[in-house]
Amino acid sequence: MKKWLLYLLIALALYFFPWLFPSSYYVHMAQGFLYTYIVVAGLNLLVGLSGQLSLGHAGFYAIGAYVTGLCTVAGVPFLLSLLLGVLICAGAGGLVAMLSLRAKGPYLAMVTIAFGLLVEIVANRWVEVTGGPAGLYLPEAKLFGLGLGTVSYYWFIAVIALVVTVLIDNLFTSRYGRTFRAMGNSEVAAATAGVHVRNWKVLAFAISACTAGLGGALFAFQNAYFNSDTFTFDKSILFLVGVIVGGAGTRLGPLVGTIVIFLLPQWVQSLYNYHLLIFGGILLLSLIALPEGIVGGIQRIFKQRNQYSGTPSLPAPDSDGPSQMGSRDGADLNVQAAVMEFDGFRAVDAIDLQIKGSEVRGLIGPNGSGKSTTVNMLSGVYVPTKGKLSWKGVDVTSFPPHRMAAAGITRTFQNLQLFHELTVLENVMLGFHLHYRKGFAANILHTPGFLREESHFRAEAMRLLQFVGLAEKAGEQAAALSYGQQRLVEIARALATKPDLLILDEPAAGASLYEVDNIVRVIRKVKDSGIAILLVEHHMEIVMNVCDTITVLDFGKKIAEGDPAFIKNHPQVIEAYLGGEEVTKLVVG
Amino acid sequence: MLQAIVSGLILGSIYAIIAQGYYITFVTNRTMNFGQGDFLMLGALVGLTTLGTVTSAGMNLFVSVLVTMVVVAAAMAMLGWGLERGAIRPLGHVLSVGWILSTVAVSLMIRNIAMLIWGRNVIPFPSPFGDEVYRFGSVGITKHEIFVAICAIVIMACLFFFLNRSLLGKALAAVAFNPDAASLMGINPRRMAVLAFALSSMLAGVGGILVGPITNTAFFMGATLGLKAFAAAIIGGLTNPLGILIGGLLLGVIEQVFSLYSSAYKDASAFLLILIVLIFMPQGLLGKKVKEKF
Repeated sequence: MKKWLLYLLIALALYFFPWLFPSSYYVHMAQGFLYTYIVVAGLNLLVGLSGQLSLGHAGFYAIGAYVTGLCTVAGVPFLLSLLLGVLICAGAGGLVAMLSLRAKGPYLAMVTIAFGLLVEIVANRWVEVTGGPAGLYLPEAKLFGLGLGTVSYYWFIAVIALVVTVLIDNLFTSRYGRTFRAMGNSEVAAATAGVHVRNWKVLAFAISACTAGLGGALFAFQNAYFNSDTFTFDKSILFLVGVIVGGAGTRLGPLVGTIVIFLLPQWVQSLYNYHLLIFGGILLLSLIALPEGIVGGIQRIFKQRNQYSGTPSLPAPDSDGPSQMGSRDGADLNVQAAVMEFDGFRAVDAIDLQIKGSEVRGLIGPNGSGKSTTVNMLSGVYVPTKGKLSWKGVDVTSFPPHRMAAAGITRTFQNLQLFHELTVLENVMLGFHLHYRKGFAANILHTPGFLREESHFRAEAMRLLQFVGLAEKAGEQAAALSYGQQRLVEIARALATKPDLLILDEPAAGASLYEVDNIVRVIRKVKDSGIAILLVEHHMEIVMNVCDTITVLDFGKKIAEGDPAFIKNHPQVIEAYLGGEEVTKLVVG
Repeated sequence: MLQAIVSGLILGSIYAIIAQGYYITFVTNRTMNFGQGDFLMLGALVGLTTLGTVTSAGMNLFVSVLVTMVVVAAAMAMLGWGLERGAIRPLGHVLSVGWILSTVAVSLMIRNIAMLIWGRNVIPFPSPFGDEVYRFGSVGITKHEIFVAICAIVIMACLFFFLNRSLLGKALAAVAFNPDAASLMGINPRRMAVLAFALSSMLAGVGGILVGPITNTAFFMGATLGLKAFAAAIIGGLTNPLGILIGGLLLGVIEQVFSLYSSAYKDASAFLLILIVLIFMPQGLLGKKVKEKF
């Protein structure tokens, strides 16, 4: 409840501000500060949480301003126009996200730049509608027939800013925030945990565009006049500066960032001839000195002081196995003549593979034999060039990773793909993605149902961590664990999706001897609970001890399949690994 | 129409020159100078001043143009070196987008300094070759445009030769491909990064001299040109210099053709083009598709 007290205090401060600074100049400035803050807070969701980039937020800002403004000019009530403006911005945000789905890095940046500049050009040149640089005069903002003067308009903005803050803060601490963050850390891992990455990206863009539009609309009515000069590329950069300098992905970052981008320019404006120099200098210095932003930097200092603050103490449940997964009918995978080609190179050549029930299947072969490619195909990361995958009688050949996860196939990664910004516990909780039932509204409002669901899955995740032997690490950042421990976290996260087939891609690589024992123990227990495992591994000891059946690949082809004893003495396998007669001759002499 | 295509090709070749600067730094250390446009502006203004000084000293036309080029290239190379040391290296790649803002920060400062030195007004940049126009049928080409075309061809040829044939160019490519392995072979990736930024800034500066007489010069001229060059680089595919050349030419032609109809269309066409290209080819026209491995 401390949180609500804080909000109440802020609300009071905002309410009394016009009495403390009874000049319209200061009230005006407060208005500007608040709507800029709204935009930056929304952009922080996009850049800081979901790890995407927008250099075109001035475009959404403009759309919000024009749609709301033009609607009121046409006689639509202010509040309704505002709503319309925000919704259209959400649509535009979704559209930009759809356009840029396949683009990454600088390409994504370019799409957003192009969008922002196009909006700017339209605003500038479509003078009949937008007024262009000459501007657009608006009627006074009215709330239920009541005109809003400077102070009451300020209160109106303050209420909206406060509501936006509470909602965004809730979003940060809900599973939505967690999923955004996970997606930003590793898209492929989020997908194999069942996250429909495309939709979530669109969602992140839409939310962020919404707040930008809201900020733009509030800006438009500040003076009942605005023109197209505001919506430049520099404005987009300025918003981004607010996010980064404040501290991307932190909850207080936008507030601090807005102080930097809004109040600082006001202050240096008197030095008109030098203001870009000063602003640029401060920006450069802060980027170098505080690469995680001001809030991020301060948090780091705090964290170093009290290392062991965040470990949740949960009653240790007595379960010693993933029994809560209550499995199930077991695996039923049938791969027929699967082929995977890259630019004419056949990495996998007509492989057949059946995995049934709860067997542990080993998949071995020398480097470059097609193991990883096979795993990528089975988990939906690659779509086979030819051939067919069927799972429980359904054709899943072209399923993307999140649908594979929903169908019951998930995996871990050879080169670890943990969500490094999340804690160990949160990593595992993300694995339950497909099993959450509470929707967006519940998450953003923190309803009792949401809180119940959170604590339920928190306990479940804790139990899985207990099972892999990492319960005491639950509160630590995933990136801080050792290699072997990180691999165990990946297994726990994969188990959380409640799979019928778990693909382990070199789970023992880089693990210490003790950790290897632990991983073997976990594999055995997972098997006992009725889950099938496909194990890709180089440690022959593990493979021979754990697997029921082993499939051997060489040069993309299956060369042998059988129980460990059979494989151990299979001449072709020995040849594949040791190099056949010529090598033997060379060695023996 | 033909006239539009020809002047589009000329303009496009300038875009391509500037855009190669994005390519060089991007492949060497995955960063770019988002202030490339302001570097170009500085190149144009320094070029203008140098040209004025040199010609008033009574030097021959070609010598003075050459001297101007060399002065600008040297100054910009220094600036590029400073940019890498001051705004790229200290970031240490903590944040993937930090370099965007740090280079923008530098460009803001440069813009401000340029404003203090050269003032706020648009300064006409008379071409050193005069305004004479040659006529080929219906197409008119100014002497300056011919100069631009020749320069573009020479610069591109030098660049391609440098990147593909010279030892230093190969070292650059090696760092681009795998910095760790390159450093084990005795190549200093940091020095290569400095080199890349120096080269990139030189290209921007020379681009400034070429574009100055076409657009005239002012302290605010850089932003749009920089973005358009970036668009050219993205259209062509950031990882392919040939693609960038094509992207630049394509962008220039499309712009000039659209400007026959309206100047609003001209500006919009560049960015519409890029959206369309990226929807269908997310890696640009000739960019390499990278299949990620997990």
